[in-house]
Amino acid sequence: MDIVKRIKDTPNVQLFRYETIILSCTLFFSPFLFLPSLVGNPDLCGKLCMRRFYLLFPGMDSADVLNSMQASAIGVYMLTLILITTFFFGRLWCGYVCPVGGFSEMVSRTFGDQWKIEYRSLPQIPIRYGYFSVYLSLMPMLGISACTLCNFLTIPRIFDAFSGNPQGIAFALSTVGLVNIALLFLLGFFAVKGRAYCQFLCPIGAVDGLVNRLGAKLRFTRRIRVERSRCTGCNVCARKCMTGAIKMENRVAVVDQLSCMSCHECVDVCDWRAIEWRTAPKEHAPKRKKKGVEYYPQPEWQAVYPLAKKKSLIKLNLIDVSELKPKLELKKSNSSSTASGESNAKPK
Amino acid sequence: MAMCSLQQDVLLYFIHYQIKFKKIFTSRKDEDKGTDFNILFNGLLCRYLFGLCIGISIALGATTASAEVRHPDPEGCFSCHGIENLNYIDQEGVLRSASINRKHYYSALHGNVPCRDCHRDISEFPHEAKNGEVDCADSCHVEEPSKGEAYNHRYVVEEYQSSVHGEGWSSGFTGGNRFEEEAFQSNPSCRQCHSNELYIAAESLPKFKDSFDHMEAECGTCHQGEVWLGQFGGHILRRLIGSRWNKRVHNEMCNRCHNDHERMAKLEIEKNQGEPKEKVSARFVLASESYASTLHGRILDSDVNGGASCLDCHAPKNFRHGVLRDEHKLSSTHRGNIAETCSQSGCHGFASHPLNARFVETDVHDLDQVSSGIGFFPNDSSRLESGWVKILAVLLPVLFFLAAGTGWSHFFGEKKKGIIFSRFGGVAFQEKILGRKPKGKNKPKPKPKPKPKPKPEPIPSDTQSSGLDQSRSETDEN
Repeated sequence: MDIVKRIKDTPNVQLFRYETIILSCTLFFSPFLFLPSLVGNPDLCGKLCMRRFYLLFPGMDSADVLNSMQASAIGVYMLTLILITTFFFGRLWCGYVCPVGGFSEMVSRTFGDQWKIEYRSLPQIPIRYGYFSVYLSLMPMLGISACTLCNFLTIPRIFDAFSGNPQGIAFALSTVGLVNIALLFLLGFFAVKGRAYCQFLCPIGAVDGLVNRLGAKLRFTRRIRVERSRCTGCNVCARKCMTGAIKMENRVAVVDQLSCMSCHECVDVCDWRAIEWRTAPKEHAPKRKKKGVEYYPQPEWQAVYPLAKKKSLIKLNLIDVSELKPKLELKKSNSSSTASGESNAKPK
Repeated sequence: MAMCSLQQDVLLYFIHYQIKFKKIFTSRKDEDKGTDFNILFNGLLCRYLFGLCIGISIALGATTASAEVRHPDPEGCFSCHGIENLNYIDQEGVLRSASINRKHYYSALHGNVPCRDCHRDISEFPHEAKNGEVDCADSCHVEEPSKGEAYNHRYVVEEYQSSVHGEGWSSGFTGGNRFEEEAFQSNPSCRQCHSNELYIAAESLPKFKDSFDHMEAECGTCHQGEVWLGQFGGHILRRLIGSRWNKRVHNEMCNRCHNDHERMAKLEIEKNQGEPKEKVSARFVLASESYASTLHGRILDSDVNGGASCLDCHAPKNFRHGVLRDEHKLSSTHRGNIAETCSQSGCHGFASHPLNARFVETDVHDLDQVSSGIGFFPNDSSRLESGWVKILAVLLPVLFFLAAGTGWSHFFGEKKKGIIFSRFGGVAFQEKILGRKPKGKNKPKPKPKPKPKPKPEPIPSDTQSSGLDQSRSETDEN
């Protein structure tokens, strides 16, 4: 049995992650609707909406902002909670809980990658924040409703439709509903790993990514961090990464903290324990120098690597490894000869 | 049960109010008896006599008075109308009830007003049915102290008559118009909305009692004189505190008619003056549905005074009776006025900003969100008149192609070994993210696909696709 074998091969952390996503789907969606019905809501819109209260209309004053925050009060609390957890632990909401992104990922993972569309090589950071700024300021001005391309609107309605709710069926038959479903298929089910909507269009993810990046430099926050001297450049993690956050630069994995969802998939597949979800160790000054080589007492677990002097016009891409410290190169060549055989990584 | 005790509570309180009112009133009348002809004319002389009796009875120490005795019924209307099951058959052969429940009447807004203050045409007993009609535009029993004139609803009626609801039929509003007949009328009467309900909610009754007891000290510093306190103060205070009217109740009132889709579908309205009447659109019929599913309705659903009610947008000004159709130039929902309406205080204050010119075009009655209207108007194609359909025409074929390819390769395709990269963007992924050249680069990847394609136009056949598969079966391992 192919499926049984695939489930057996899946690492435990990933199975746990799938379970939490399925659980949150049952909690958030029809027919059970446990969590939304606690506040008397049939879906994730209205006062649960996390995508609307920060829209910037020209000429807005503080009263208007308060007004729109009151309209979706629970959404404000939820987003605040998400951002706080993100700051300390990484984007756990996106990777482990979010029922909307999780659902499209789960469906996408049920069939092979061959006919799916590979979005991960696109420049996702400029696209995401470009769309985010349009979403924040231009779309309100043009009178385009924030709900027109919203998958927090669509997926609960699809669950509604399958649980026999006439409102969901009506939405699925309307034009906006059809376009949204087509978009769900293109950016969800038929995207490799099913997270293309999260990469490009999700405003919660955009805000969350900024907070994730903000806390990544601090040493006490848990992030997906790479110990570069251990990395062999086998690129299994980059292939497995569902958001395309890991990029191989000079045959070393570099994590883009604006996109990383801390889903642990890279941690599970790394045979060298070169990438982990952890805090950075306190001591990082070189203990001693011998023949010009600095020896560190502990591995240097970095989440973000120094910005290059020029390189990219768009400074949002804060990970550029072209200015790698020569000492690292030297150390790697000294310490591990395994790096030369990086293409002999374990095939999955 | 709760309602029952509430009514009793209100009733008892109004007995108390009556006693107080009568005390003030009688003492005032003693001073300038015979000069106030207006009051005399209104039949208040009877009330005076009645009040005097009560005053004497209080003086004698008869403190416990029953409701029937204390309430004003100088003409003795209740001697007949108080009988239960007082029914008659009218000219059209409809059985009607003429009995009045005293409890309900006393606890209502006009519970302390004698019958003939409003039913003025009745001069003899027994009276004809048509003499019982009331004109709301007539002057009222309450005197407005600042002007010294009897209050009336003339301005409200004028505004209402110019609105869509008052159009074409305005004879007396309540006159000759009963609930059964209103089912066939397209326009509502005053009574349709202002039903004579219990006016003070249970939760605000203690507050009302307290305020009423302190009214002389608080309101009396400015509004001196017993006239104000006795007549007008209670009226205002009851509206101020006793009001049960919130936005949700407004909407319930509108929905009594507008939620009845079958009834609304029968309506015919003239869009512009002088043009022939047209059948109403699906948008009109399903207006309350589409309102309920959009944000305004949903916020109101969770908070009685949140969101925007029907009246907030359709009749925000004056007496809130001037509902006009969108095409009317004076309408608050007309294209030229909608920005002002949206930017009311407490709502979207930024809507009148010039850069937000398109914000006001947001569809707040979005038919796409309507849950129940499927099959209601099968021929109504207005739903599909949008640019989204064109986008969909592009998206759906792509989707079909992907789905067909997936299904085909799942059932008929060769099983590949190793790592499978996507057909669409897999090469770019390997180059940009994995930072390596895809294997077998002597055959450039994207090229072979277009080459075989033009020859067989419609669908790539099995043999060609399998050939493609083999050519692209680059794997990662070894």
